[in-house]
Amino acid sequence: MSNGDALMHARGASRFVDDIPVPGCLHAALFTSPVAKGRIRSLDVSKAASAPGVAAVYVHKDVPGLNQIGHVFKDQPLFAEDAVEYIGQPIALVVADTVRNARKALKLIEAGIEELPPVLNPREAAAKGHLHGKKRVQGHGDPDAAFARCARVFEGRLASGPQEHFYFETQRALAVPGEHDTIKVYASAQSPGAFHRHLAEVLGIPMHKVELDIRRLGGGFGGKESTAVWIAAPALAAFLLKKPVKLVLGRNEDIATTGKRHAYEYDYRLGLDADGRILAYDITLYQHAGACADISTAVLGRSFLHVCGSYRVPNLRVTGLSCRTNIPPNNAFRGFGVPQGTFAIEAALTRAAHELGVEPETLKRRNLLQEGDTLPYGVKLSGVNATRCWEVLDSRTDIAGRRAAVAAYNKSHKDTRKGLAAVPVCFGISFAQTALNQAGALVNIYVDGSVAVSTGAVEMGQGVNAKIRIVAARTLGVPLERVRVETTNTSRVPNASPTSASTGADLNGMAAKYACERLRARLLDFAAGCLKTGAAALDIKDGEVLSAGKPAGLGWEKLVKDAQWARVDLSEHAFYATPDLHYDLEKERGRPFAYYAYGASLTEVTLDCVRGTYVMDSVDVVQDVGESLSPEIDRGQAEGAVVQGMGWAVMEQLRYGPDGRVLTGVNAYKVPDIRFVPRHFSVELLKDSSNPFAVCNSKAVGEPPFVHGLGAYLAVADALRAARPDREPPPLPITPEKAFMHLHGPETGGKRR
Amino acid sequence: MISFILNDRLVRTEERPGMVLLEFIRNVSCLSGTKDACREGECGACTVLLGSPEPDGSVSYAACASCLLPLGEADGRHVVTVEGLSVEPLTLVQRLIVEHGASQCGFCTPGIVLSLTGFALSSPSLSYEDAVTALDGNICRCTGYVSIRSAAGALCEAISGAGKPPAGRLDFMIKAGVAPEYFRGIPARLGELEASPDLPDGKAVPVAGGTDLFAREPERLLESGLRFLSRRRDLAGIREDRGFLRAGGAVTIEAFRNSAAVLRHFPALAQDLLLHSSAILRNKATLAGNIANASPVGDAAIILLALGARLTISGEAGEREIPLEKFYLGYKRTDLACGELISAISIPLPPSGARYHFEKVSNRVTLDIAAANSALFLTTGPGGTVSGLRVSAGGVAPVPMLVPGLDVFLGRSPGDALAEDLAAAAMAAAKPIDDVRGSAEYKKLLLGRLILAHFRALYPGEAA
Repeated sequence: MSNGDALMHARGASRFVDDIPVPGCLHAALFTSPVAKGRIRSLDVSKAASAPGVAAVYVHKDVPGLNQIGHVFKDQPLFAEDAVEYIGQPIALVVADTVRNARKALKLIEAGIEELPPVLNPREAAAKGHLHGKKRVQGHGDPDAAFARCARVFEGRLASGPQEHFYFETQRALAVPGEHDTIKVYASAQSPGAFHRHLAEVLGIPMHKVELDIRRLGGGFGGKESTAVWIAAPALAAFLLKKPVKLVLGRNEDIATTGKRHAYEYDYRLGLDADGRILAYDITLYQHAGACADISTAVLGRSFLHVCGSYRVPNLRVTGLSCRTNIPPNNAFRGFGVPQGTFAIEAALTRAAHELGVEPETLKRRNLLQEGDTLPYGVKLSGVNATRCWEVLDSRTDIAGRRAAVAAYNKSHKDTRKGLAAVPVCFGISFAQTALNQAGALVNIYVDGSVAVSTGAVEMGQGVNAKIRIVAARTLGVPLERVRVETTNTSRVPNASPTSASTGADLNGMAAKYACERLRARLLDFAAGCLKTGAAALDIKDGEVLSAGKPAGLGWEKLVKDAQWARVDLSEHAFYATPDLHYDLEKERGRPFAYYAYGASLTEVTLDCVRGTYVMDSVDVVQDVGESLSPEIDRGQAEGAVVQGMGWAVMEQLRYGPDGRVLTGVNAYKVPDIRFVPRHFSVELLKDSSNPFAVCNSKAVGEPPFVHGLGAYLAVADALRAARPDREPPPLPITPEKAFMHLHGPETGGKRR
Repeated sequence: MISFILNDRLVRTEERPGMVLLEFIRNVSCLSGTKDACREGECGACTVLLGSPEPDGSVSYAACASCLLPLGEADGRHVVTVEGLSVEPLTLVQRLIVEHGASQCGFCTPGIVLSLTGFALSSPSLSYEDAVTALDGNICRCTGYVSIRSAAGALCEAISGAGKPPAGRLDFMIKAGVAPEYFRGIPARLGELEASPDLPDGKAVPVAGGTDLFAREPERLLESGLRFLSRRRDLAGIREDRGFLRAGGAVTIEAFRNSAAVLRHFPALAQDLLLHSSAILRNKATLAGNIANASPVGDAAIILLALGARLTISGEAGEREIPLEKFYLGYKRTDLACGELISAISIPLPPSGARYHFEKVSNRVTLDIAAANSALFLTTGPGGTVSGLRVSAGGVAPVPMLVPGLDVFLGRSPGDALAEDLAAAAMAAAKPIDDVRGSAEYKKLLLGRLILAHFRALYPGEAA
């Protein structure tokens, strides 16, 4: 069972926002701040307003409702008022008959902005107290006393870089005004509920006058979860002009002005006992958040809860700071802070292994989470598959044998070196924000027997609709073709949580299952009356009613038709809220996650020591997806996530200028291509794993495998260490430039402290 | 008036020849299957097939980025979008993509379908390796490519044994379900199209491949008169001519890379020029364009500098010939006067025993601009000592640089000591700057290593 849209995708028939034909549609373009920090002294849009084809130019004063789209904190104006805080911050919106005319008119806007010195470094921001929210500190055990007992303590600084989403479909929305001051918005957006609210607030109308409809996204990866600018701006114009308006960001505009995965800096101390067991870990996270809080504090919170990776850490102190800087507000990106949180302990433990002269795999294996371990925030673990995943990986790859082969290769080669890295993954599933763990579904059975399912889940290629379709068909007992998954629409399913945190299928699938179960029970009751038997003896399978396991001569179509005629309700709304979730932010204790997704991987690379380039040789992944709803979809999610993670780790490099400008447009920001992917790429879904905490015993798969991408960093770093054991590997991402300078650069910096 | 066949339909349009085909397809023809995702040829979502009539009456198809392809280039040709393949429920390529789970969000999928279809219609080898090469400009952000590779592999198995393209290929591909039946009638229909009169326009901008021009300044070109050099027979073709390999000014990187004459004398170029760009760009980008673009790090320019290429420049005053190294006057400044164009590139045929090697390091191996690149051409005389030496270096000066002062190395034996001294000389001549491709320090040090790498590649086992 593949992604349900694949056939249309291959025919080019799938409609994305910019493919919807709308006669008379106007086109919008954003005028944004050219400076990273400044005061707006004057703003003259009159020339732009009278330029050819221009219908209107809007600034903050034109917003009928709130000029505010802050997602967590109310700190993000839709249009800048008197201050600008980052390059790319929207100041005005031009609406014209063509995209070309709108963009031409942008050049006629005159903004007098007094430039102020920006803060572009997270540590500098932290030192100045420029934070989003409060500094978070969590303690567990007694780290200070534990460090005193450690046989070895490793201390240092680390950094991980930002990542551009590079979703293929850039940010965009189409807004069409309706009667009675209503508006319908078609958007490429992951958060139907939140954007619905932002739209109503900006327009100053109640939410029941706004309808947000989402068919599918050409990729989201978190980048379309929280920032409402590109949806609210065209909606505002359509609402005021009473004409359809579309805003589609150009690629370089998208790269330059939208949020990214957060870069982090770290200070760490890792203490081990004489046997290499972790006794204490002290880690400070400096999150490079950007000018507005957006969703950064939530991302930081998730990093915060994953700093121990897959390891037992009996004594922990973690400090998290979301640093306010003058770059575009960063936002969610697949993994939502987990890759960043996990990176530090993976890098620290690997360094410790090298200094102790043991294989990193040995240290990692020794410290893996075990059944019954308690996580620092107080969760006692059960159903831990960390060791199982590792052992399955080991049985498939012979980790020690591979390590020996790499060591032998490196002994006999100087111009090339091999590097190896094993990465275990432990990823908490649920929104860490408990309130978001809810979903609704509306299931309609029509009188011809066809079924339409609406949920709050957004399809963005991850196959959530295909999974929901499977759940609905399986629960109702009808063939898959009977079920269609509808667009995500705020008029059918209200107040929906974002499709993110890998929870789309878990939450919405469960809601759909509940609705289908009730419809099924109702239909079976009705069938029992028709067949003059007890409902308990009846079942529906493959569109046939079975009585005591045998066909009862009543098919799905007739059952539905007769039930409707007998005035049985064939429509059902159901709701699901993940049970037993809670978290106390004051005490930093609770049960924030319903369950954990585990995995393990082995990555091998070859480093060219002359040129500083490297080749990904192989990746072997074992991923725990519970009882997979669709192995093909889950394998595809794992493959895609790993490669995206590898891109973050060893290729993708976003460069900012000294003025805070993004320098790397599409011709310089490179993401993995077909040649980058290792020739040997194997993904095994862990067998015999079941999960009572999610729909049909499955487990989430969207984000957890991303963390395996760290293996690319660690493997290249491993090879760099083999070539230059005297130097600490460069920060993430390693790029050919950084690898080269590590190998051949002058003796400054990068030396072991 | 521009006339062409778009899928199965004859199109006659008065739109401007400088409108990019992507815009015409989506906004004028209202075909939304071709996706707009970068406008710089960097992603492949807008890939279409461009079918050009061949002298033998067949039509050859090449996958191209429609975001960089001016409408005028379509004149008299066959343009195929994903809708043009979706006549029957699914073509073979589409079916394999679905069966192998090679589509997730779907935004890149039409481009991948077109690139693989172009591969099936035009690849001489039909090998798996070449199928992957055909996809080297199609980025997918979702799948991780594993499923796409397996679909490509299945395609190669299904179509092995097809005849030589283009004439011997089409019938097989129609029967195999790769191309729809109506493709059979396209050659005859193209033959019936009236050729548009070529109106002389002194101010018209000459467009060779257009892949740089239309990425840089599409708005200016929309308003400009254009001359399409791909239509000029006198600028086409590669031949050996009095000790030179002569390539016309409209020869594409891909045609050059695959030319039998080129491979006879410089077999390494087939692989080296893969690094120039992606398949969908190499099919349009030209050698001459890469030279005239004057990027200090242009791969073709760097290779040709080392090979001692000479340019034939023609203008109203006639033809003149200059060595490539005299062509560059400063950053993005060339010897080309207004109204002139590069009509041919001549490369001296290498004497036997001559050695050539190219090195390039970029952040991503394929479709990326080098931090630094370099080519070396070396001949040896009696006793194996160096009798001729040319070394070029890109990304380290305002222009593609021919390392000066190499005469001092003549007479020496190739080996470690020569490599080290040459690296030092190249680094001394290099004056790189900090930019998005890397720091100045990195580029300079890298150049030194690339010089050493030339020798390690040319004399394996001899260098340390």
